[in-house]
Amino acid sequence: MTEDKASVSPNVLEQVLAQRESVVTRLAQIGHVVAVMSGKGGVGKSALTANIAAALGMQGLAVGVLDADIHGSSATSMLGTRGQKVTYGAAGARPAIGVANVSVMSMDMFLPEDEPVHWQHPGGLAADAHVWRGSMEANALLEMLADTDWGRLEWLLIDMPPGTDRYETLLELTPDLYGTIVVTIPSQVAHRVVRRSIAAAQTAGARLLGLVENMAGYIGENGQEVGELFPEGGGQEFAALMDIPYLGRVPFDPRLARETDNGRPFVLEHAETIAGRAILAIVEKLATEVSA
Amino acid sequence: MKFVCNECGEVMAFEDNTPSEDGSSMNILYRCPNCERSISMVTNAGETQMVRSLDVNIGHESLETRASQPMSLIRDALAGAEPAQTPAGPEPVWTEAALKRLSAAPSFVQGMVHRIYSDFARQKGYAEITPAIMSEARDELGMMGM
Repeated sequence: MTEDKASVSPNVLEQVLAQRESVVTRLAQIGHVVAVMSGKGGVGKSALTANIAAALGMQGLAVGVLDADIHGSSATSMLGTRGQKVTYGAAGARPAIGVANVSVMSMDMFLPEDEPVHWQHPGGLAADAHVWRGSMEANALLEMLADTDWGRLEWLLIDMPPGTDRYETLLELTPDLYGTIVVTIPSQVAHRVVRRSIAAAQTAGARLLGLVENMAGYIGENGQEVGELFPEGGGQEFAALMDIPYLGRVPFDPRLARETDNGRPFVLEHAETIAGRAILAIVEKLATEVSA
Repeated sequence: MKFVCNECGEVMAFEDNTPSEDGSSMNILYRCPNCERSISMVTNAGETQMVRSLDVNIGHESLETRASQPMSLIRDALAGAEPAQTPAGPEPVWTEAALKRLSAAPSFVQGMVHRIYSDFARQKGYAEITPAIMSEARDELGMMGM
């Protein structure tokens, strides 16, 4: 029995393995690939990711942000690359370059303004979309990981969507993921959801760099902390309970939300504020962690 | 998955992959290299969708093809996706015969196939796309069944 001719045509398994290998090869050029996840939506994870990226960029480090939130992309808006589209070169798809020289790749860059993500039906019955949509979106993430020409980066932050399924996909695709930052808010409901995400990460053997407690306190007009947004608090105790490091708390500053939404991460011009200092302290802890 | 010719004991070789007109199935042809017997594996709609969503191509002769088409799944499957920046050079002219051959492809892949052949022609410096150029591209890029 000869297999030479059959082996001329790579089969499906070989192609899938080749796709995964291309992710490993691409990410090998990057110093630290870090996921930012919560599991819970609305905790300010994307804004925090943008500010951490900008803070690293301000230090002269080469940083990229991959927006893995296929349906809720926001990185282009927050990092000042809204409207920039993907271009292609010999080494792959080129990311947009945002504030603080942060490179950005996002589904937004493939679509006209305000157009939702809608996949063309790949044949067959439209009612069967549930069969292939999840696979399509996992492969879209794989493609952004494998085909983006980041060049040499010191940090690539991957902004994960709510839920754990895409995070688990990421863990499968990126065996060299350096670690994961977990974001929560001071709410027992949030803690219950985030607890499940942490458990999923721990079960998968992912390295958890630590917990950030976002929206912990409220900054008033006078630039001082004037009260709590949520009554519970307890982020530090929650981190201890989950046996992960506590990276710090970031109070809610309306200016942070407003300026980051407008493509100017708050930390760029307000590093001296309470929230700005809190973000820089988190970045410093991350830098200490990777240099240890 | 492999198919073995029961008569010869040979592993049958992939020969062609032809999508159905409505795109809901693929007719994948294998032939015994020894006795020339052939079989066709016909996928159902669910199998077809699953294969396409994996961003794999039954019958690809070269894994390099994908590398030359970054973000191909997103660009081709995302409704409303904006056209990618194309390689430098004038837009090649499609001959009538080439357009007729293109129209034989299922409607949902025609855009992708048009782009791949156009990019190929620009890279090669061809001013027009003929069936012969399409065959050349098909051979070089390993696009079986297109």
